[in-house]
Amino acid sequence: MAAYRADDDYDYLFKVVLIGDSGVGKSNLLSRFTRNEFSLESKSTIGVEFATRSIRVDDKVVKAQIWDTAGQERYRAITSAYYRGAVGALLVYDVTRHVTFENVERWLKELRGHTDSNIVIMLVGNKADLRHLRAVSTDDAKAFAERENTFFMETSALESMNVENAFTEVLTQIHHVVSRKALEVGDDPAALPKGRTINVGSKDDVSAVKNAGCCSA
Amino acid sequence: MDRSRGINDYEPGPVPSESRVDRYGFIKQNVSNSSAAEGLGKSREARRVRKWRKMIGVGGSDWKHYVRRKPHVVKRRIRKGIPDCLRGLVWQLISGSRDLLLMNPGVYEQLVIYETSASELDIIRDISRTFPTHVFFQQRHGPGQRSLYNVLKAYSVFDRAVGYVQGMGFLAGLLLLYMSEEDAFWLLVALLKGAVHAPMEGLYQVGLPLVQQYLFQFEHLVREHLPKLGEHFSREMINPSMYASQWFITVFSYSFPFPLALRIWDVFLFEGVKIVFKVGLALLKYCHDDLINLSFEKLIHALRNFPEDAMNPDILLPMAYSIK
Repeated sequence: MAAYRADDDYDYLFKVVLIGDSGVGKSNLLSRFTRNEFSLESKSTIGVEFATRSIRVDDKVVKAQIWDTAGQERYRAITSAYYRGAVGALLVYDVTRHVTFENVERWLKELRGHTDSNIVIMLVGNKADLRHLRAVSTDDAKAFAERENTFFMETSALESMNVENAFTEVLTQIHHVVSRKALEVGDDPAALPKGRTINVGSKDDVSAVKNAGCCSA
Repeated sequence: MDRSRGINDYEPGPVPSESRVDRYGFIKQNVSNSSAAEGLGKSREARRVRKWRKMIGVGGSDWKHYVRRKPHVVKRRIRKGIPDCLRGLVWQLISGSRDLLLMNPGVYEQLVIYETSASELDIIRDISRTFPTHVFFQQRHGPGQRSLYNVLKAYSVFDRAVGYVQGMGFLAGLLLLYMSEEDAFWLLVALLKGAVHAPMEGLYQVGLPLVQQYLFQFEHLVREHLPKLGEHFSREMINPSMYASQWFITVFSYSFPFPLALRIWDVFLFEGVKIVFKVGLALLKYCHDDLINLSFEKLIHALRNFPEDAMNPDILLPMAYSIK
């Protein structure tokens, strides 16, 4: 499969999930980050969507494999399978709809129940461009993020504000975790170095990650 | 060859080339995507409509009789595609929804006007995200969006255990392009409650049990019918939930070309869910030689973006029918 070598030119491959209530803008955050596109006419996500993008972190090329999930509660029957093996998550709420912020706690619980404790989580308040409709204050969200030990950023997929930063920060933090771990353990359970024929992003890689000595279970 | 051109009451005629919508009412994405290649010649189409009119009788009065007498003729004709001008009526006849409507006068109105639903906000949030590129559903609070809301709300009250689940809007939206609100509602009921075929409600109930079952079965069918590809998928750790959930949840109405979706629905309503499996397998079969060379990420992309020729109903469907 030499034809695809160029695309796979990365040092690390990180699996990241986008979660949060329906209609908060997860799919547009993803399309903004991976294709620099935004659509006011997007369809609601059914099941899961997938996209990738590589960025440079420190001196390494990091490739993000991002799974975008349907937000409606009923869909967790399918989507929660995609949490496993994730090393990063953007937990998105809509700054104009307070209920989506209230539900963050449940999403967090669900996420932590399915992932490794080292997962890097960023709380993302999207639609920050709708200033006149704001229902969640930045301070409240910041306080929550501190309490829950997650990163925090407000974004606007529409105005392309902070989207790049949010993803980059998550990937950078994951990279730090990985580098630290590599120093400690001499092996790297949270990422797959280039060259190994392991596929990331499906159920089975998860066990690979966990068997490598992670702390959950 | 019959060259008469006078007949124009049977189809929304060819849309002028400068029009911004295609013959089904979708905003054109690109000009090259011509709809001229999709249909039959005009005269052939007219002959077909005449045959169909004879078969169903005025307002569908002869239908039941005809189906009982010549089920194979009906099946064959449906597989060739129901004429667009008769589609709405025929769908109601073959799904059993017409009978439900007649047995339940006033029920729909009751559900829409007097009842409230816990799902109302969820439904509203998705209204503008359902067929957003179709003229009927584009206008905010326009007739299309209002009908869509009413049908979904009525269903969420009618079956509170199912309520509203994302994906149902595409079913309702598709139906509303061919029939009235009340007719669309009863067709939704016929499908989910299983008037003729196995009930679909398990696709939407808590835990999405039927989605899980269908995906599991589909994975096995892939291994059985396309063993090499099945093996390749397991090596690359691709499973059907990554690409086929929406095939089942929306019966191909979510992201497939509309002419193909309609043809699938013709057969789906008459023959049941088997056609969804068959079309899925046919898509994989058609693209087999490409798919087998792709690695994980390219595979996911390819499985969500089939080439245009693979989605030509006149190529794909015969292939699907041939799968036993």
